[in-house]
Amino acid sequence: MEEKKMTERESLELITEMISRTKERYVADGSALLLWGYVTVAVSVLVWVLLVTTGNPAYNWLWNLIWIIGCIGSFIMSRRKKENFGAKSYSDKLTSQLWTVVAYVALVFFVCCMVFTFLKINTWTAMLVFALTVVPLTEIAQGIVVKERSLVVGGAIGMLVGIVTVCCICGGIGLGINWFIPMFIVAFIGMTIVPGHILNHKARVNR
Amino acid sequence: MKELNPLLHSQLRLAVISILMNVEEADFVYLKEKTESTAGNLSVQLDKLSGAGYISVTKGFVGKKTRTVCQITELGRQAFEEYVETLKEYLGM
Repeated sequence: MEEKKMTERESLELITEMISRTKERYVADGSALLLWGYVTVAVSVLVWVLLVTTGNPAYNWLWNLIWIIGCIGSFIMSRRKKENFGAKSYSDKLTSQLWTVVAYVALVFFVCCMVFTFLKINTWTAMLVFALTVVPLTEIAQGIVVKERSLVVGGAIGMLVGIVTVCCICGGIGLGINWFIPMFIVAFIGMTIVPGHILNHKARVNR
Repeated sequence: MKELNPLLHSQLRLAVISILMNVEEADFVYLKEKTESTAGNLSVQLDKLSGAGYISVTKGFVGKKTRTVCQITELGRQAFEEYVETLKEYLGM
């Protein structure tokens, strides 16, 4: 682009052209959803198999693998993203802030559960409630912001399972290993893996 | 009739401001690619826009590579809106 005198009409055409050139990249990235989804599902399957076959509750500590692997993966992913920065849209910024809030809420939940564990009170089901209410709600919000139906539907599936979980806890129904963990796995597949692949497919087609 | 802001009534500067109105922030490479300009020319025009307070320019590093990130300021946003209004008057829209 060279410096030259423009007419008023050319100015208007230039503005329109530049706006249309920046519009093309508004497709959300599904990589983060896939990372957290696959890690959560893999760890859940592992814990479920170990609990069913051995009956040893100590294997519940393996749930911590989710945030350990997830955080390391997210850190590597964010570094790669910074290298291919380009431009950040308003919806990019908003969704990134939303998920940052979720990460802080997760940390507070985790610290609270740890404190209760030291007091010999088991409150770890609170983490399940977090994973099946706060996370899906944020996903629905992101779906509304970026106008992506798969995120809204995926979030709604997770939210539905979350509501059932809360009702079971309030009603004193035990979250049995045999049915709850498989339901949790299915919810996470619907909530993260399916929309993650849909988003990445759309991003590839858009390129 | 009001005069068109001379700082914005330039092809490359107007292109940069139009892009920055549409995104939260953009880096130098992205702007260069979208405006199809040369690095030297773009750098000069960014300095002019930054000098007028229309954009903020942040220089940083990603690994060993330098990265320049540009963002429109409130003053830049107002100037662009005024420019478009004046343009509409000229074109009788």
